[in-house]
Amino acid sequence: MVGIVIVSHSGKIAGGIKDLIEQLTQGRVRVEVAAGAVDGSLGTDATAITAAIQRADTGEGVAVLMDLGSAVLSAETALDLLPLEARKRALLCDAPLVEGAVAAGVEASLGSDLAAVRQAAEMSRSLTKLGG
Amino acid sequence: MITSSSIASWLRKAAAEVASHRDELTALDAAIGDADHGINLQRGFAAVLGRMEAGNPAEKTPAALSKEAGMVLVASVGGASGPLYGTFFLRFGGALGDQRELDAATLAAAFRAGLEGIRQRGKAELGEKTMIDAWQPAVEALESAVAAGKPLEVAMWAAAAAAQAGAEATTPMVARKGRASYMGERSRGHQDPGATSTALLVKAAAEAFSERE
Amino acid sequence: MPTELRLVVKSELGLHARPAAAFVQAAARFSARVEVHNLTTGKGPASARSLLALLSLGVRQGHEVRLVAEGEQESEAVLALAELLGGKDAELEKGLDQFQGAGA
Repeated sequence: MVGIVIVSHSGKIAGGIKDLIEQLTQGRVRVEVAAGAVDGSLGTDATAITAAIQRADTGEGVAVLMDLGSAVLSAETALDLLPLEARKRALLCDAPLVEGAVAAGVEASLGSDLAAVRQAAEMSRSLTKLGG
Repeated sequence: MITSSSIASWLRKAAAEVASHRDELTALDAAIGDADHGINLQRGFAAVLGRMEAGNPAEKTPAALSKEAGMVLVASVGGASGPLYGTFFLRFGGALGDQRELDAATLAAAFRAGLEGIRQRGKAELGEKTMIDAWQPAVEALESAVAAGKPLEVAMWAAAAAAQAGAEATTPMVARKGRASYMGERSRGHQDPGATSTALLVKAAAEAFSERE
Repeated sequence: MPTELRLVVKSELGLHARPAAAFVQAAARFSARVEVHNLTTGKGPASARSLLALLSLGVRQGHEVRLVAEGEQESEAVLALAELLGGKDAELEKGLDQFQGAGA
């Protein structure tokens, strides 16, 4: 099963999203978190992201979801720090964090491959919430 | 010739510069950013020094010291300058191989590799009000001076002056990248914090590389 | 030959996040391709395997939906998903009768 990594400036945000995905998938999907700066303040740490990707990878790859700005830079740096084999199986998703992560998590729980998981995450870009 | 001690000296001077300019960097960042650039860099470079002094810097190669600094920066800074400066030092170190003594041409190539790393990571170009506006003129000045056969110290001070001028030139620019870009026109009239801290780093390098053993 | 069923959604939460996730996981157990239409709001079709597409239908309790399944196990799929949407009522019973005889 594809693993999910949640990257956020905030540990609380990332932890909450992990809880949501675990609830929706009955804990079947591996979700790892990389959030906060090294001293616990708001920020991101590329080395923590690299470690989270390695933990989340059970062989079928990892979809990475990020919040804003420097989280993306850190996630891109994190990919550079991975060994080559692992690097090929990690994909950053261009999606809003909460909705993208939830969609990715549910898709992963169906046993879908990494490309399908990313696609599910990125579909959240066009999601409208407020109906008629 | 530049050795590991020179690199270690650079990192110590860089840490001192960001610490003493912390409030200025914070104020610049408050005008057009999150107001955390000064604090983030101080934390990052303090961590770099902590890691460096815990080991034995003289025993490591310049490449190893630079890459170690890069890794600590990506981990500890917290904000965007972590991945950016971190990538700079990782690429800088990556261009040095196993050499323990670095000549001017090698250093210039390493600075160029670092600059290209920042460009790739941040995807910014000249004129977008980012640290590139200080790094690029600095590296170009360094390369020109080295190609013209100038001694390293002269070349480094030319780079430092170019970085400073580049940072000052960001003031009238409109930010097109990063947090400041959300402010659009309102980002005009403020010197870019990333370019400012870059000027400090290059100045610290010029001081470190001009030292006599 | 696709299997279709219309029903009024009885489950309290309709197809909001948690039930939608369960719906997706149930749909994935079957080979058939299943689509959902929200007849009350006019939204759809949404693939039963896409969480986000289902969420965008905005299905609430009381809405009428149409399930359309095509392929292997299409009847089983529709039955299982209809059950998740809650409640046996006259419409559902009639629908069940219709494909009891339709073969697998």
